[in-house]
Amino acid sequence: MKRTRQPGISRRSTLTLMGAGALTFAAPWVARAQAKTIKIGMPTILSGRVAQLGTSSRNAVTMEVEKINAAGGLAGRQIEMVIRDSKGQPQEAARVARELVNTDGCELLIDAEASSGAFAVHEVARDLGVFCVHTNSETSALTADPKQHIPNAFRTARQGVHDSIFGGSYAAAIAKGKGLKKWATCSPDYAYGRDTTAEYTLYLKRFAPDVEIISESWPKLFQPDYTEVVTKILQAKPQALYSCLWGGDLTSFIDQANIYAMFGQMEVFAVNMADYTALTVVKNLPKGIHSGNRYIKTFPATPENAAWGDAYRAKYNEYPTNWSWENATAMMLIAEASKKANSADGKKIAEVMRGLTIKCPFGADGTVTMRAEDQTLIGYAIGWGTTIPQEPYVPDVKAGDWKIILELEAEWKKSKGYT
Amino acid sequence: MTELQAARAADSLSAPRLEAGSKRLRYLDLLVALAAFAVLALLPLVSDSKALLDFVIRCSAYGLFATSLNLLVGYTGMISFGHGMFFGLGAYGYGLIMQRIGVPIPLAFLATLAITAVVATIIGAICVRLKEIYFAFVTLAFQMLIHSTILSWSSFTGGDQGLRGGIPRPPFLGIDLSNHVHLYLASCVLLVLGLLAMRQIAASPFGYTLRMIRDNPMRASFIGIDVWRAKLTVFVLAALFASTGGMVMALFVSGAYPEFAYWTISGEGIFINMLGGVATFLGPMVGTVLLLILNDTVTRFTEYHGIVLGVVILFFAIGLRKGLMDFVVEWYTQRRDRASGQG
Amino acid sequence: MDAWTFARPSSARRNGNDTLDLDALASCFTSSACLVTQTTSGLIIGMLLFLVAVGLTLIFGVLKVVNFSHGAFYMFGAYFAMTSYQLTGSFALAMLCGAAGTAILGLIFERVFMSRVYGADVLMQLLVCYAFVLIFDDVVRLIWGPEFRSMGMPTAFQVVPLFIAGGVVPPYYLLLIGVALAAAIVLGVGLARTRIGKVIRAAAYNPSMVSALGINTGLIYGGVFAIGGLLAGLAGALAAPVRSLTPGMGFSVLIESFIVTVIGGMGSILGALIGALLLGLIRSFGSLGFPLFTEGLMYLFMVIVLVSRPSGLFGKEVA
Repeated sequence: MKRTRQPGISRRSTLTLMGAGALTFAAPWVARAQAKTIKIGMPTILSGRVAQLGTSSRNAVTMEVEKINAAGGLAGRQIEMVIRDSKGQPQEAARVARELVNTDGCELLIDAEASSGAFAVHEVARDLGVFCVHTNSETSALTADPKQHIPNAFRTARQGVHDSIFGGSYAAAIAKGKGLKKWATCSPDYAYGRDTTAEYTLYLKRFAPDVEIISESWPKLFQPDYTEVVTKILQAKPQALYSCLWGGDLTSFIDQANIYAMFGQMEVFAVNMADYTALTVVKNLPKGIHSGNRYIKTFPATPENAAWGDAYRAKYNEYPTNWSWENATAMMLIAEASKKANSADGKKIAEVMRGLTIKCPFGADGTVTMRAEDQTLIGYAIGWGTTIPQEPYVPDVKAGDWKIILELEAEWKKSKGYT
Repeated sequence: MTELQAARAADSLSAPRLEAGSKRLRYLDLLVALAAFAVLALLPLVSDSKALLDFVIRCSAYGLFATSLNLLVGYTGMISFGHGMFFGLGAYGYGLIMQRIGVPIPLAFLATLAITAVVATIIGAICVRLKEIYFAFVTLAFQMLIHSTILSWSSFTGGDQGLRGGIPRPPFLGIDLSNHVHLYLASCVLLVLGLLAMRQIAASPFGYTLRMIRDNPMRASFIGIDVWRAKLTVFVLAALFASTGGMVMALFVSGAYPEFAYWTISGEGIFINMLGGVATFLGPMVGTVLLLILNDTVTRFTEYHGIVLGVVILFFAIGLRKGLMDFVVEWYTQRRDRASGQG
Repeated sequence: MDAWTFARPSSARRNGNDTLDLDALASCFTSSACLVTQTTSGLIIGMLLFLVAVGLTLIFGVLKVVNFSHGAFYMFGAYFAMTSYQLTGSFALAMLCGAAGTAILGLIFERVFMSRVYGADVLMQLLVCYAFVLIFDDVVRLIWGPEFRSMGMPTAFQVVPLFIAGGVVPPYYLLLIGVALAAAIVLGVGLARTRIGKVIRAAAYNPSMVSALGINTGLIYGGVFAIGGLLAGLAGALAAPVRSLTPGMGFSVLIESFIVTVIGGMGSILGALIGALLLGLIRSFGSLGFPLFTEGLMYLFMVIVLVSRPSGLFGKEVA
């Protein structure tokens, strides 16, 4: 039983490798925060299928940080971003977040995680008491549920229920006008898809009571093929279709539904369509898909918004995403709160940030507000319109009324037992 | 015969020698365990680095999981692709019991082990009849089935968002697991006790039965061993330790997520075993430490960690052709043999 | 609100209706339009899956290697096709580039890396494949970027779908089924009738005998990997106009192909065909009857097959 092959690596190189590993591992503990600069940690997803979430979040944050630093930083301290990949795994997100605070000496956290990762980072924030802004999770429960509430965590992302309330009322108006009674839904089978669809149909039926849902499809997240879903919808012969598929899933769905000529047969409401990531990728974009705005530089139609969108595009040679504006807003809020508090301390920033209203290119009226009671963003631009296959993609966006949105949101919270 | 098999065969050939001195060996194990625990327990006094403690806690979770997988892969020759389901089961079982019923932590711990034992017995009874790659596939299928159940049954499991809102950590017997150092010490205790228990299993007559089944199942059944029963027993035992690992992970992140029950966890377990070596008891533990260091350092520097990790794997698979501990042990024995040959 | 819904206060209402909708399934069987549409939909899913799975099963049959990185070939096929389509605008050339490019990739992969671990433990082979899954995904991300891409449907196929017995069938999918079927026939006949096919089958059965006859087994092994890569690449290229392209896109396809090969029997080409079609039909009809458990249905089916017949429906009985 002789070994037939000598191993191809010497003992010395193995030891060197181990030594190097140990050294890099130990180094961060030595170099602890000693400084004038303030480090902001940012766990996000930079690899795998949704790497674009991380890269476009990072781009936006980097762009804002450059502006803030040029204007003197946070209370005189220059910002240094420490951005790490969590690979979209919640345990890695928790690990990275803890490490950013404990090892790298980050004093503030931008949590640019999606879905379960955001809840994992939320627990870290609860544990360590570190200031934290969730920038990408749109799940309503993250801030609406009082059980989740901690004083040091905020959210600058959209909230699912806001979208659904206005989306429902917009769709109801069209449904009434065109007599669309039979509806189908097709949304990804995970929390965001289920919650958003349920809320959307709830408000659709509320504003247009004779609407009936005759077919539901729940493809898996990242499913490559939607043929069976497309044919199922065609079988049901609905007059209108709602979908909250997003990103590559949405474009696959559109490409596959296109060759079945589905879009001529029903009105389609796809909340995540009007985002450049999807708009620019689909080669044969059907005309007249109704969509909520994600990020679009022509809505709100202000010079500030257009300038921001153009600056981003010039800097990175790509369009900003929905995630981009959400992350940029987080940095704008932190900068303003820090200026008001005249401090870069997380606790003081948090105090000022509660209820803070700032001027912002993404605000429905030029401002956005960090609502004090549940520490989530309100007043951002919400609108719906129909798509065309070239710039400006969504020429005419109908803006949502925040007064109605907030009223109905309060009612929704009560019905959920959140208040 | 492949080198891996050769290493295993060498391992089982030395069995009688080990058996003779097994009593002494067990005391030695106990001593080593005590010493290891002492070193770990002193760590918080020496260093105030929270990241170091976090690192050890994660090592406990993955180490227990990977070593238990080696009971199957290395000792019994059962390549399970679905061992991660018990890691997930531990995390979810413990988290759900604490969130919904709120019993004292030790009780929740034991209840989770009991649940794991029942589930593992049922799944094991179906799986262990199959051999080689088919066993691997059927365990993988069960893992995917459990994972898709967790995703679909969202009213109970929280679906893709996992168990949210934190897992309560009420103090018991003066131990407060929401205290970082207490949590650290508790996971060290679990790790050391778990490893010691698995070492006892491996060194017991039952452990030798397993190795015989691995090397020659026919012979084992000829001399009256109930192969199916022995395989099922080790399958359930390994599941219990994996479940313990899952509980440590749930305690660490204060939640449970479907990713814990995904096949990638099983894949990482296999990878850890190959990295550290399957012919040495501590191989998987070494592999765990290696993988975590690798992961933590590489993700720190690049988002293209896939390439880096891939190249490292290739180095081990094509370069060394075995895990690090196996490599070291073999190199050491060779050197000793050569030295004694010359002397 | 009962205790079970406590963890997800915001969750959608979930009645028994959307997990189980047997009425919809039953009513489909009484309508020819529905039957035709759903059956073709199952065929499309199945035939693309077959192209990937058949390579997997062929490689296992001849080399006894479970090629975990097979999904990456599918991914590369799609990306190669997209790039050449963008450069040349020719659909045929895009398909050719997708298939040929991955064939070469498969050959290199086998000759340079896999051939080094043939004698080794099964786990070592898996590790090499796993390493390449990681590496290939990152390479694609480096070359084509992290964002998802779309190739776009050639104008020739942007036509109204056909109506057959009331069912809807898009012309592009007819082409797709035709190409996949042709590939299956060529492969089946090639293996059964030609000299090369015989040598490959012989190599699967007794490699040392084949090399004793003076035939270069390395060449055969490389060739088998190239064929496997070619078919997976072709599948990726054919899918590129209708599926979005992202790094890691091969993964879900790989998992499904695994299920196909395990159900059909590892190493059996007929098994891969039947398994793929079965899976396609489970998907298309399952989505009507069990909208939320279509995925679970596949795993359940796999468990049942494995337990009752470990070698799969068409596999050789294992001792």
